Amino acid sequence: MPKPKKQSTRSAPAVAEAARRRASSPAPALVRLARVAKGKKPQYFSDPAIDKLLWMTLTLMEELSVTRDRLDTVERLLAAKQVLRRAEVEGWQPDAKAAAERVAARGRYVDRMMRAMHAELEEIAGRGMPKSEEEVVAAVES
Amino acid sequence: MPAFKAHAMQPSTLLDEQARQDFVGALRAHLSGRLMPGAYKVYESRVEPAFRARLGRAPIDQDEIRKPMMQDSFYQFWSAMQRRSQELLWESVIDPTERELPELLKRSKRLRAKKVGRSSKGRRRGTLRLNPALEIPRYHRAADIHLQPGGYHTDFTTDDVCAGVIYDKGINLYMGGALGPENNLMGDTLLAYLREKHPERQPKRILDIGCAIGNSTVVWARAFPQARVHGIDVGAPVLRYAHARAVALGVAIDFSQQNAEATDFADGSLDLIVSHIVLHETSKSALPRILGECRRLLAPGGLMLHLEIPRGRTVIEKFMHNWESYNNNETFARYMTGIDLQAEAMKGGFLAADVLVDEFIPKLDVAQMNYTEHFFWKILAAHR
Repeated sequence: MPKPKKQSTRSAPAVAEAARRRASSPAPALVRLARVAKGKKPQYFSDPAIDKLLWMTLTLMEELSVTRDRLDTVERLLAAKQVLRRAEVEGWQPDAKAAAERVAARGRYVDRMMRAMHAELEEIAGRGMPKSEEEVVAAVES
Repeated sequence: MPAFKAHAMQPSTLLDEQARQDFVGALRAHLSGRLMPGAYKVYESRVEPAFRARLGRAPIDQDEIRKPMMQDSFYQFWSAMQRRSQELLWESVIDPTERELPELLKRSKRLRAKKVGRSSKGRRRGTLRLNPALEIPRYHRAADIHLQPGGYHTDFTTDDVCAGVIYDKGINLYMGGALGPENNLMGDTLLAYLREKHPERQPKRILDIGCAIGNSTVVWARAFPQARVHGIDVGAPVLRYAHARAVALGVAIDFSQQNAEATDFADGSLDLIVSHIVLHETSKSALPRILGECRRLLAPGGLMLHLEIPRGRTVIEKFMHNWESYNNNETFARYMTGIDLQAEAMKGGFLAADVLVDEFIPKLDVAQMNYTEHFFWKILAAHR
């Protein structure tokens, strides 16, 4: 397959494509903020696996809600602009580039879903985590 | 519900970020409004009867029902989801903050550079005094209050404001917008109390302790434009944010990083000291020290007003209120349930006759009252 020629001046579609790429894969943040609070996370169920499953289920609920909102936004805009019909959406197949972008986006999605596991690791290696919530309560009551 | 007022120190949200915050709002409304009453129902219908059957008497305190409640399948599931909703809340605010941090830091720097001199309208501008040597009290270091990662005191970068950015939007989401467009409900409430009970007071020197982002401090500064208003907190990032936010809102407040147990203000230098749901985030040893410090700072005849959340009357109400203690890092809230605030004020040197522990329901606007329908505030009032 021949390599595509590098463009000296970028065409309007190329600029739009670059903007789209930036939007779909944001640059890594310079400062990383903590995502896990200090303190012993309570165990709610007899088996900690159930805690993790529920954790994931709620995150999944959230992400599905986010996706539905976005899809709703797109479909309303498209219908308002009379750009396409629902049947066209159903029949669409991604090209190689679109497929690669989807792989990357899915990877970020899975990262987010797996935070329960990372949170446990962070707790093990964490910043002087107390052993129990009782210990923390007792500390301020003493 | 009044919309959260966008100001210069809040990040924008991308479509998905906004959708996450919207989802958290919907989830929390359901968990608190629809499912939490179910926890009271399972207590009445199965936990309490089983307790009686086993011991032949009713439970006498919240600690006795902790274990049986934690074994109840409905309560377990609700509790685990409530906890997760709190984590999701912070995550939904942290994401846009982290993404837009370079811009937020620039804006903070620009706003805070305006700290000296007077504005174009000739009004005095507020100041910020930080003390990097201040020891962060154990009740902040032991666990991140309300599960906000890093708490109010952690700097993630130079001249950080993240804790404030996150807290401001976070408490708006936490209360489903009920705190008002500038998270002003608690300041409004305590101000309404002052106006109703002490209409003659025109304080000239006001201090807000544990002011965090200054959301209530701004209320006092606007209510008494002739007064010099101070806000103190132990957290540097929330104070930098408070300062920038106050400048953005055009309000002059002098913020300083101080522990309310021992400040550098002079004896008798203040007319009014206020705090807004701060006391229950302290500790058994710190509480009387804070109240004693208030007494030292008040001028003769000066008044202190502390707004607090009542912690329930029945065993199950107390237990449910203290869900926050064990599941949301409100670690001192449990001790506050059984506390005699008048006695604490007396430990701080106030005379019994000068202390009043009051209940208050303000006449606020309809949207806010809907949220607080069965709710009253507890107020510790005392004068020198």
